[in-house]
Amino acid sequence: MECKKEIWQTCGEAFVNQYYQQFDCTNRMGLSSLYSDDACLTWEGTPYRGREAIGAKLVNLPFQRIAHAITEQDCQPTIDSCILIMVFGQLRVDDDPPMAFHQVFMLKCLNGAWACTNDVFRLGIHNIPV
Amino acid sequence: MGDKPVWEQIGASFVQHYYQLFDSDRSQLGCIYIDTSCLTWEGQPFQGKGTIMEKLTSLPFTKIAHSITAQDHQPTPDSCILSMVVGQLKADDDPIMGFHQSFILKNINDSWVCTNDMFRLAIHNFG
Repeated sequence: MECKKEIWQTCGEAFVNQYYQQFDCTNRMGLSSLYSDDACLTWEGTPYRGREAIGAKLVNLPFQRIAHAITEQDCQPTIDSCILIMVFGQLRVDDDPPMAFHQVFMLKCLNGAWACTNDVFRLGIHNIPV
Repeated sequence: MGDKPVWEQIGASFVQHYYQLFDSDRSQLGCIYIDTSCLTWEGQPFQGKGTIMEKLTSLPFTKIAHSITAQDHQPTPDSCILSMVVGQLKADDDPIMGFHQSFILKNINDSWVCTNDMFRLAIHNFG
């Protein structure tokens, strides 16, 4: 496990970059390709199952513009050779004030590529304003 | 309660048990971690039950109380459970702070253990 230590960190960071780049800079139509067939998304407490349902949810989010700024991200390998990632940051939607968010991803290597099997997103409602 | 998927029931039960132990006597948390567990505590990694317990028992407060605002649970492809918790905590006489914590639970020998744990205070999101 020690010699592979950097793999999960590198792959985790690469996924996070790709995810938010696609989220912010495209019409989000391609985001579904990052998920596995049977992936789970929980978006502000509502569950979605499967790539199609997740893709539809993300594409239909009701804003014109969005920008994420990542403050922190933590990555860990799991026993089953997956990668767990926890992301903290801020996002700005249209002309709304910035809001904090918190997102957790789990990645699994399927058919030679890392796919997101689990995604949990929540806005940060307890954050201390500075 | 019977309507909830099994991973939600297990996840919710674990979360309740974890914070109850943490708030009453966190030296009892050892039973939920295993030798290959990973903890990331405010960005610092800790590996293995022994190291994790050392970290948790040496946290510099006497009293702590967690209050859960929201929790989400999902099944994973390898029959594990991913749980994400958002809440507030109060340590000693410090002001109340928000926190986020994520767990991966795995069933080993008929018992659900925590293989992955990530904790952060909710202070990183405003600049």
